[in-house]
Amino acid sequence: MENNIYILLTVFTPIFASVIMLLLARANRAQRWVGLGSSILTWGFSIVVLLMVINEGPQTYRLGGYTPPYGIVFIADMLSALFGVMATTVMMAGFMYNVHSKEKAVGYPTFIPLFAVMATGLNGSFYTGDLFTFFVFLELMVLSSVAMVAMSDNRYGLEAAIKYVFISGMGTLFLLIGIAAMYTTFGTLNLAHMAVLLAEGERELLARSAAVMLMSAFLLKSAVFPFHFWQPDFHTTAPTAVSAMLSSVIVKVGIYMIIRTLTLLFTVEAPQIQNLLVILGIIGIFFGSLAALRTYNGKRVLAYSTIGQVGFILVAIGWANLQPEAGVAPLALTAAIIYAFNHAFIKSSLLMIMGLVAGQSHEHSVDFVDIDGLGPKLPPIIGMLWFLGGMSLAGLPPLNGFISKFAVARAGVGFGEWLALGLVIGSGALTLTYMFRTWQRVFQTKGEVKLHLLEKGEKGDGWLAPAFLITICILLGVYARPLVVLAEQTAIQILDASIYIEAINLFGG
Amino acid sequence: MIDVIYAVALGLLFAIGVFQLLRRDLIKSVIGFGILFTGVNLFLLASGAFRGDVAPYTTNVDQGLQTSDPLVQALILTAVVVSFGSYALLLAMVNIASRRYGSVDSDELSNLTK
Repeated sequence: MENNIYILLTVFTPIFASVIMLLLARANRAQRWVGLGSSILTWGFSIVVLLMVINEGPQTYRLGGYTPPYGIVFIADMLSALFGVMATTVMMAGFMYNVHSKEKAVGYPTFIPLFAVMATGLNGSFYTGDLFTFFVFLELMVLSSVAMVAMSDNRYGLEAAIKYVFISGMGTLFLLIGIAAMYTTFGTLNLAHMAVLLAEGERELLARSAAVMLMSAFLLKSAVFPFHFWQPDFHTTAPTAVSAMLSSVIVKVGIYMIIRTLTLLFTVEAPQIQNLLVILGIIGIFFGSLAALRTYNGKRVLAYSTIGQVGFILVAIGWANLQPEAGVAPLALTAAIIYAFNHAFIKSSLLMIMGLVAGQSHEHSVDFVDIDGLGPKLPPIIGMLWFLGGMSLAGLPPLNGFISKFAVARAGVGFGEWLALGLVIGSGALTLTYMFRTWQRVFQTKGEVKLHLLEKGEKGDGWLAPAFLITICILLGVYARPLVVLAEQTAIQILDASIYIEAINLFGG
Repeated sequence: MIDVIYAVALGLLFAIGVFQLLRRDLIKSVIGFGILFTGVNLFLLASGAFRGDVAPYTTNVDQGLQTSDPLVQALILTAVVVSFGSYALLLAMVNIASRRYGSVDSDELSNLTK
């Protein structure tokens, strides 16, 4: 359907809510509840978009009614609708966490509006059908998250934010050069129009260098191995709700664009890029897991673990055979989508639990030396949720982490990539080791430590948001069929680029 | 001719920008950041603004002459706004850091490894 208003509502509800929240700057409690309400609305709209996409095929919205490729067009096909639902669900849990958060940063009048602006940037970059609009939404997301990290309770937040703006700025630079190169070559910014022109014509040299520029920008934004060095600092020092978003959904923007550009634009160059992705993914898995093993901070363990988990997704993308004439079932692409979807819920819930623990320590950090003996004094539900989440991340049944690891393994067997498969499964054991180690260190050690908040008689209701996410993890693990079927349909749909191009309806309608 | 001038200018801007960005003084590297973004904006301008014969949306378009591409100017306007925003945010953060650490030397701001 053309001009589907729900896509527009999903993207722009948070930013309107942020304007309302800025008017309520003096009333912090009201801000928090307005934020939660707007995120529930956004979540509802994204679910409606997904249902319409399942029933009627890809949906579009043309801003200002201009015919594509002129003007800006939003498009929701299966891939973007699925990623959009993932983003809005995790965002909703983030707002839920903010309502009960005891952090000082959440009390500042601009924190919750910035959080909502980040949600707009995130949803917009999933739904846009235009390379330059993607750049604008990406920058919206990056700048709002940087401002929130700079005002974090952790006193090193400012340093990490400065470091990240420089590095992310370089990524943006590469993205802009890539966009300009594509525009010089093809005279269009619309992804579908570019795909048509690329499929027709001779590939000029500038298009290839544009592919390299764009890919390096996407890899930098999702903290893949050679570009990862900013990520642990930035994700550790961020306020808890923000680090939960950064480490779960924001790294997926790069993954989404890699899948989108590989299947739509650079189909000829894809095999070379994919070989590189498999190598980078395997290095990332080992680097992330080993670095997580030797870290002495709970949040940092999770930040390094994200590098490893993104590596799994990249390996799955790298295995996918994108040539349409090969006729292989799109197993690997399905695995990548399932993995990206499940990982978002697990990682955000784990980071929120670490934030709860940090809130109880005097130092406001989860450095292992600061929290000796803290864990056993916390309400037992917090430790239980962490255990469930950790087991899910390590890939034990019946949790959703098992489903995603199983999907990757099935794809590996299907393609006979034995060496890579062995490496991937072997490194899964490393995940189990570092999750167990952190659980023992945080929740099982004895020591003399005073609780920071519980002593004053304050109850922490903060476990509601991670409990919500862990419930989703268990549901997706026990009853995985709908997600797997959806991911399979998505993989089939995105492998046929003509569906996307027809939905945009170039020069028509 | 204009192409050559643009290529040389772009090369110079990128070279100066990268050099400044790698300085130890954070203020200087923020300025390098700004220079690099100016270079990218110039690249965007060079990608289509000089193709035609006359400027777009002016009175003399109906002489059968080809107009130049108006879209690149819109793109540059957006890119300028975005890079200006991150430039301002970065300067504000360096300002706070200089007050907190008493220095803008990037070696002094290295507590993250602890």
